[in-house]
Amino acid sequence: MARIVLIAEQRNGKLSEATLELCKAAKEIASMVGATPAAAVFYKDDSIAKEVAQYIPEVFSVVDAKLESFSADLYAQAVKAVVESQDVKGVLIPHSYDGVDYAAKAALAIGAGIVSNCNKVAFEGGALVFTRNTYNGKIQEQKSVKTDKFVATFEKGAFDKEAAGAAGSVTAVSASLGDSKRKIKEVIATMAGSVDISQAKIIVSGGRGTKEKDKYNDIIVSLAKKLGGEYAASRPVVDAGWTDAARQVGQSGKTVAPALYLAAGISGAIQHVAGMKGSQCIVAINKDPEAPIFNIATYGIVGDLFEVIPAIMEALG
Amino acid sequence: MKIVVLVKEVPDMESKFKIIDGAKIDESQIAFKMNDFDAYAVEAALQLKEKFGGEVIIISAGPDRVTKEVRQAFAMGADWGIHVNDPQIDAGDNFVVSSALVKAIESLGGADLIMTGVQSEDYQASLTGVVIADMLGLAHCTNVVKIDVAADQKTLTINRELEGGLNEVLEMSAPAVLTIQSGINEPRYPTLPGIMKAKKKRLDVKKAADLGVAELGEAGSKTKFIKMFFPVSDHKAEIIEGDAKTAAKTLVDKLKNEAKVI
Repeated sequence: MARIVLIAEQRNGKLSEATLELCKAAKEIASMVGATPAAAVFYKDDSIAKEVAQYIPEVFSVVDAKLESFSADLYAQAVKAVVESQDVKGVLIPHSYDGVDYAAKAALAIGAGIVSNCNKVAFEGGALVFTRNTYNGKIQEQKSVKTDKFVATFEKGAFDKEAAGAAGSVTAVSASLGDSKRKIKEVIATMAGSVDISQAKIIVSGGRGTKEKDKYNDIIVSLAKKLGGEYAASRPVVDAGWTDAARQVGQSGKTVAPALYLAAGISGAIQHVAGMKGSQCIVAINKDPEAPIFNIATYGIVGDLFEVIPAIMEALG
Repeated sequence: MKIVVLVKEVPDMESKFKIIDGAKIDESQIAFKMNDFDAYAVEAALQLKEKFGGEVIIISAGPDRVTKEVRQAFAMGADWGIHVNDPQIDAGDNFVVSSALVKAIESLGGADLIMTGVQSEDYQASLTGVVIADMLGLAHCTNVVKIDVAADQKTLTINRELEGGLNEVLEMSAPAVLTIQSGINEPRYPTLPGIMKAKKKRLDVKKAADLGVAELGEAGSKTKFIKMFFPVSDHKAEIIEGDAKTAAKTLVDKLKNEAKVI
């Protein structure tokens, strides 16, 4: 029977959460198309393959000392080895930093069409229909793949994490891997700083809509101080140098879950939401009524943050 | 160094979007601009040119109006460009457009570096850079937040962004394809003399036939577009109405007494 195979992701031997989400995805998609779910693990030994086997009935393990760290070149080659030696219909890859670095390469290696950054999948009229965010999350589109096999990458949180169950089988797959065109020298932390916003109970966060550094300081920092919380930012604010990288919330920054997260001038792109959706109460202030942030907020005010926030300061007394 | 930057035109994301027949956005009411991530790529290329000399070549695929973004890159300091202008290419998926861009790069006899944004703001696919690198048989790196080119102009030390504020520092050799992440630099604004000069810079227009692109339109695509729609969320925020003052007062009251978080 054909298989739907997810590619596991690890860093320093630690399995990513996205891998467990894709275990769930593989099972759902496999049952839609009448295939069986499986995983492929690429690592220096089979320890991670055994771990993944707790979540999925069949695991293909490519073991090579070169696979201790991630390599786009080697991952694409390993995907090809698994697809060529097994009956594989679809390959699922996290839409993560590592995932986007090799998914397209893997798709070309196996001659498959790729739909990336998906958040949903359905089976309609005999074909898998993938739904994905476009236009900064304002519009969704649906696509299918015309090729025999497919590769899909899924955004974080598209599926719930699969729970551990009965141990599945681990099968070794041999692959003659070439050399990686890149050599990793080290992994460094770039957000080291004195502040740890992840501990704050209240966070006031500003985005592109705060317009400039002085205004960000005036509005966002002042309100945070008034509420006794921390101030934070979405990526564009940090990119522009209005505040420190240590205060960036989102996929590439910190993950926070305060009691109150007030997002001002933040549209709510998935990369930002990934870092704050666990907050207990989310307030969104945005002049665009269609901003995706309103889809996850508890309370929303559609308006100009430069009027609304001073009014909040006044109402706080 | 000979550096190619792939630039895409995208709608301003703050536009009020309208969808026609579930198939495309109504472009008549939309302002277009250069994809943000590509502006960082243009700046990164210009900084390397300033250091090592050489040329920066812009390649962009799209209809007539994308010349505006190409000229903007010229005004920033890029030297010349290729405009891949063919509706048969635009009608294709990422595979088709990437194949055409590859042909355009090959028509230059390759380059030392090829740079583009991590993703486009409209399609958000993060595919093009990797696809192009693979088709050209070149090394690549995505999500680049730092580029250091050694004096030999071959050895690249690159920071690749990872989750949670980590960077992977890696070494690779040119020629290579880099996809540039936002925040790597501060893209310059075009100067008035730059804008004047940009008008006279060379911009070659190429059609699919000129480039010898075989994969065209829907037929050449590996994926099929089905439809587009506005997301329907099962959750919507409780929108607090009224002018700023009234809304703020209600909000503070709710945060104190309903959510009990302040």
